[in-house]
Amino acid sequence: MKLEIDESRCKGCNLCTMVCPYKIYRPGSRPNRKGIYIPELDRPERCPNCRLQELYGRRLCGVCALICPDQAIRWVPEKPYEPMKVVIEY
Amino acid sequence: MRDEWFRADRLPHIYCAGCGNGTIVNCVLEAVSMTGWDRKNTVFLSGIGCSSRAPGYILTDSLHTTHGRAIAFATGVKMADPSLHVVVFTGDGDLAAIGGNHFIHACRRNIDLTVVCMNNHIYGMTGGQGSPTTPLGKTSTTTPYGASETPFDLVDLAVAAGANYVARWTSFHVKQLTEAVLNGLNTPGFSLIEVRCQCPTSYGRRNKYREPVDYITHLKAHAILKDKWESMEKSGQDMPADSFPVGEFVRRARPVMGVPDEA
Repeated sequence: MKLEIDESRCKGCNLCTMVCPYKIYRPGSRPNRKGIYIPELDRPERCPNCRLQELYGRRLCGVCALICPDQAIRWVPEKPYEPMKVVIEY
Repeated sequence: MRDEWFRADRLPHIYCAGCGNGTIVNCVLEAVSMTGWDRKNTVFLSGIGCSSRAPGYILTDSLHTTHGRAIAFATGVKMADPSLHVVVFTGDGDLAAIGGNHFIHACRRNIDLTVVCMNNHIYGMTGGQGSPTTPLGKTSTTTPYGASETPFDLVDLAVAAGANYVARWTSFHVKQLTEAVLNGLNTPGFSLIEVRCQCPTSYGRRNKYREPVDYITHLKAHAILKDKWESMEKSGQDMPADSFPVGEFVRRARPVMGVPDEA
């Protein structure tokens, strides 16, 4: 799973930066097209829901998505990890 | 999942940045999706105000009614078809001020409704006038020198009037709020969940909480759990200013009205 902030919905209230126990969200530094400072993700793979949701079979934590007043935070499924084939040329 | 209950084409909603109403809609829809109810048998009602925009963003039948009369309309819906699940979104101006009589009589009759009161201490939509729940000494456009009237305690009112389930949380306590709404939905009879939420635009701007994060921190610091509140009261300590108890206040089984088995 991958954490994603929907830029068309976020209004930049920064509540997610306050509630996340892993401090994954950081206040944004540059405005987007609408002039909203959208929070940045700091190593989002640390999120327990991204890592462990498949293992536990339910949503874990999820406080950021619940407290987000604009329904902008969600998890999107990712393709399973595929090791890259590296061709070594001699 | 709650995403299935949102009318995605109507989002983003019109609430201001950092408004607590969006959080409460999230929590209510999370609880409703946990109950496994069908969208065709669920009705959301609301009166007038910021909070009452909420049913417009939910993909079910909904009624956006006149000011303060949401509970009166909900009573009608429930009496017409007791098999429907009825949830009422309402604000403090809607429930405590103009709809106060409907509210206490719905508690007295114990109709099978779930009422979620988004209490932001002010009339937010019309420009920040003082409401019956504006705390003492707080500024609004109609109380420029600080509110001088004692605010309403909606939880005590509902307990005294006879509701079956009464809880209070803030918009910071999202998990507990979801659980309380779920309990309220599953309890037969009238259930009131009062949610103290932030209004950074109309209330916070005049009371030094302009940033949503500051406001939420204030709510978090001044919400005292009910057990701790009672032990503080018993030991005769002075309560910190602006603090309020949160938690589940009452859960009982008084005779109810509007449940399909009886109707």
